Amino acid sequence: MPNRIAAATFTRLISGVLFLSGIAGAQSSEPADQQTIQLLMQQVKQLQQQQLALQDRINLLEANQKSSTEVPPATPAPVPTPTRSETATPSQTPAPSETAAASSPEMHNLHGIRWRGFGELDYKVLNQRTPELGTYGFVPGSAGNFYVGDFDLFLTSRLTRKSSVLSEIDFEEGDAQRFKVDLRRMLFKYDANDHLRFSFGRYQTSIGYYNWAFSSATWLQTTADRPLVMEYASNGGLLPTQAVGVSVTGSIPLGRVGLNYVAEYGSSDTVRPDINGDGLLNDENNGNQINLGFFLNPDRVFGLRIGGSIYHDQISDLVLSVGGGPIGAQGAGGIAPSPSARWNQTIVNGHIVYIAHGIEFLNEGFLIRFAPTIAGETFNTPAFYSQFSKKLGPVRPFVRYQYINASPQNAIYNDVGLRYGPSFGLRYDANDYIALKAQLDHTVRRGLPDLNGLHLQLAGTF
Amino acid sequence: MRRRKPVLMKLLAAGLFGLILASYSVAQSHTIAVIVNPKNPVTNLTLGDLRKIFTGVERTWHGGLPVKITVRGPDTLERFVLLRILGMSEAEYRQYWTAKVFRGEADGEPVVLPSFGMTKEAVGLFPGGIALVDVQDLKPGMNIKVIKVEGHMPGEPGYPNL
Repeated sequence: MPNRIAAATFTRLISGVLFLSGIAGAQSSEPADQQTIQLLMQQVKQLQQQQLALQDRINLLEANQKSSTEVPPATPAPVPTPTRSETATPSQTPAPSETAAASSPEMHNLHGIRWRGFGELDYKVLNQRTPELGTYGFVPGSAGNFYVGDFDLFLTSRLTRKSSVLSEIDFEEGDAQRFKVDLRRMLFKYDANDHLRFSFGRYQTSIGYYNWAFSSATWLQTTADRPLVMEYASNGGLLPTQAVGVSVTGSIPLGRVGLNYVAEYGSSDTVRPDINGDGLLNDENNGNQINLGFFLNPDRVFGLRIGGSIYHDQISDLVLSVGGGPIGAQGAGGIAPSPSARWNQTIVNGHIVYIAHGIEFLNEGFLIRFAPTIAGETFNTPAFYSQFSKKLGPVRPFVRYQYINASPQNAIYNDVGLRYGPSFGLRYDANDYIALKAQLDHTVRRGLPDLNGLHLQLAGTF
Repeated sequence: MRRRKPVLMKLLAAGLFGLILASYSVAQSHTIAVIVNPKNPVTNLTLGDLRKIFTGVERTWHGGLPVKITVRGPDTLERFVLLRILGMSEAEYRQYWTAKVFRGEADGEPVVLPSFGMTKEAVGLFPGGIALVDVQDLKPGMNIKVIKVEGHMPGEPGYPNL
């Protein structure tokens, strides 16, 4: 019996092998070979294309290497020696140099000028028929309308290993769909080293975090708009967001606390429209401002930033008509036909920011103080905002609460008054270039009905 | 027919478990090392240093040598580890660099290289070069230097789980 079983098993095995080899033979002899050849040809072509792409990258690397070896004392000898025993850790702050030379597919390059664009399309509807913030093409009498907001062209060019030029040209929609060009930033930058970096030109003041972190490009912001206190002064924001002068930043080597400083001296010359829709402008006729700030980026909690700044300037409370002609000075009872007064403006900021692991938690507080240069009452305007968001896949829900309390007697912020309330919304990133945002705002105002708003935005970069 | 569902569920669960186990074992067998140019005197970096370097916060080595970051592209182990170190998603990483460029703190994103070979060449070329690589790709005689992280070499006990 065992022999029989063994013989049967052997026969089955042989027939199985023959069957399989028959199939294999049949397959190999089928005309499907042509398809296989075609597939192989395609693969060869793909490999050739990949090889070409790799060759391009090699060329790029070689070019970069040439440019890097031209300037610095790169090669054999002077390599820096570590001062700390365990490390030769990099020092703390940016010095856009070689990393900068790294090519990014995100930036377009045209004859050495790298550029990038940002744009937005907004629809905003309010439960009132007068504009708020004096922004963009809001048509008085309508509850809501579309507008383009800011269209930004951002250009940079490296001049030498340590110097570069940066500019941000903003096309901003005004009344009747007329657009004005605003050179939001134009900077000649010189990075002596990590501890000393100069910028000369028009810059965004480093009062607090938001103005430093976010420029005109709304695509970069989570929310559809900036917090009111950080809104651009040209849109009715409270702070001098821009200045022309010199800015110096750098790190202070104090171990792992990551201490950095910023010092600015320049002229702001702020003209801000009233945000209550009366159509008047405040020409602050600024003197020369000085701003000094410090912030920590501790190693232990990556993404945490704690800092503060103090700003000082002298401004006036001159009121201009819509046409730009002077009217007088704003006082408690409205506009007085007197020459404007001069005020010492001091702005103190403190902020705690955490951005990591998909969490964005921004908290900033301000105290804006106006003290008359001669005699009179001093006004303190406290303001803060807190914003939290968490990225959940392509969606980032956010919530923000803001508060501003300006005295009605305050000649400069008498259009602001007391305002506070939350904003809720969602940001949806359709891809790396397009974001859709929806935001609901509720603002409580002193002496006025509560304001509700819906803000829809399509923000993009290219 | 009723019995099939639990069997299917069991099969699916077993498959999923197997997949997790396999990916875990792959992750365990692939340790990430930090490499720099041999001329760079750095011997050790902390995780904090790595974060600051790969986010462009620190851009010069001590002494002024410019840091030259090279990174691997998306869907690679090195990129996965980089994003984990930085606590960012792929989209956040790209947006982070866009914002950094827009603030004028960098000219562009770090160079993305498609292979270990090119990464190794780039780090060997640039005196300030630094990159994350899979330990299994490393071989003796390469023109690069593997450095310690938190005081430990890759494979040593105490080496952080990169």
